[in-house]
Amino acid sequence: MGQLKLVWLLAIKDLKIEYRSRQAFLTTLFFAALILVVFNFAFDPGSASTRDASPGILWVALLFPGMIQLNRSFQSETEEGTLQGIVLAPVDRGILFLGKVLANWLFLLAIDLLILAVFIVFFNFAPDPSFLWVILFMFLVGAGFSAVGTVFAAMVTNVRIREVLLPILLFPIIVPIILAAVNATREVLIHQDFSTVERWLQLVVAFDVIFLAAGFLVFDYVVGE
Amino acid sequence: MSFFWRLGSWSSIMWLESSSYFQQRADRYLKWAAWLLVPLYLVGVAALYAAFIHAPTERTMGEVQRIFYFHVGAAWTAFLAFFVVFVAGIAYLWRRNLFWDELGAASAEVGVVFTTIVLTTGPIWARPIWNTWWPWGDPRVTTTLVLWLIYVAYFALRSSLPAGEKRARLAAVFGIIGFIDVPIVFLSVRWWRTIHPVVITRSEVRLEPEMVQALLIAVAAFTILYFTLLLTRTAMRLQDAASEEIMQAVRERSD
Repeated sequence: MGQLKLVWLLAIKDLKIEYRSRQAFLTTLFFAALILVVFNFAFDPGSASTRDASPGILWVALLFPGMIQLNRSFQSETEEGTLQGIVLAPVDRGILFLGKVLANWLFLLAIDLLILAVFIVFFNFAPDPSFLWVILFMFLVGAGFSAVGTVFAAMVTNVRIREVLLPILLFPIIVPIILAAVNATREVLIHQDFSTVERWLQLVVAFDVIFLAAGFLVFDYVVGE
Repeated sequence: MSFFWRLGSWSSIMWLESSSYFQQRADRYLKWAAWLLVPLYLVGVAALYAAFIHAPTERTMGEVQRIFYFHVGAAWTAFLAFFVVFVAGIAYLWRRNLFWDELGAASAEVGVVFTTIVLTTGPIWARPIWNTWWPWGDPRVTTTLVLWLIYVAYFALRSSLPAGEKRARLAAVFGIIGFIDVPIVFLSVRWWRTIHPVVITRSEVRLEPEMVQALLIAVAAFTILYFTLLLTRTAMRLQDAASEEIMQAVRERSD
């Protein structure tokens, strides 16, 4: 069996479980939408300053639900003891890592795209082609986020305070891609300026490559013997 | 100095059976740390003299500029400390010797303390000079802040796990990932602010030769201080590990 097929099988396993219950997906989606609503209450809706801050609001509304998803991604594995089963399978730990990353990534992308629609409605944007850039950033930022997040989620699975610990570990590390995502989105949506987007894109791609490789290499040490 | 020796010999009495590997190492490091106190004292006094008397008062900034020597000394040491955490992490994953874990944790402790010094002395200087406590526009400031957050998170991770092989393994992984992240953070923060009009630019400061001398002595003093603290903290952590071994042995015997 090809290695890529193994990654796909592992990811599809997780997504199938998600699909069968759908509860987690809908709850996470609802939570993300709720954040957008709360921010509109917190700021003056429709004002220019709120519009200027809206790229930040969008990414915050994606980050927090993403964190919840990451915390869940190893929960069922430890509760049912299936992680042991997977670890015992004759599969490289790096492949296991990529499978988990892929599952988390696809889950987050589905949430991201639906939330983007809610965002356009709530903040009264015209759905023009510049949103394609935002979608591209969702793909790339989601990959880096899932890569680092999967490593840390696996680290904190058996920790009692994992719900708090995971954001504490993850946020400082993903500062570069948060900055890239928010700034690129602001340039594209608010300033209609495409001159710096490419630079942010390069940064996110570099981040993705570095941390996918790092996660692939260290995951063996994270899951343990 | 004799305090450290007494500390070392006292704990070796506690270790009634043949003293453990950790205990032997701890004793050795405490001795080294004690010897380091001599150059630390000499260079430390020289650094204070150079910073406060030898170096001239800066023309436009005035006396507050003297904080610069301590600020840069602490910053350099913090980066060195986090590099040691990174190296110790790799060494642990490779050799699986808990000594490397204790060394990495000790270095991270010292690093967080020095980063805190950097983040405290910075605003004291920045308020009168840049007219702001916290210049978000300066990539060095924001990178140092993120660095501080990363290594505080390192201790949040450590304290949530029971001592042992697993904690060492995960802390090593986090220490490696955290250090790899630093240059990317710096790059992103620099782009973040250069895209927008830069309110504050670091003015061109030409340093007098006496100022350069004071800076070099301060950096040397801080480096010696780092190694003294690193050896002491590593020794104390190893003693903790050794006494944990004794407790374990006692518990097993009493069962």
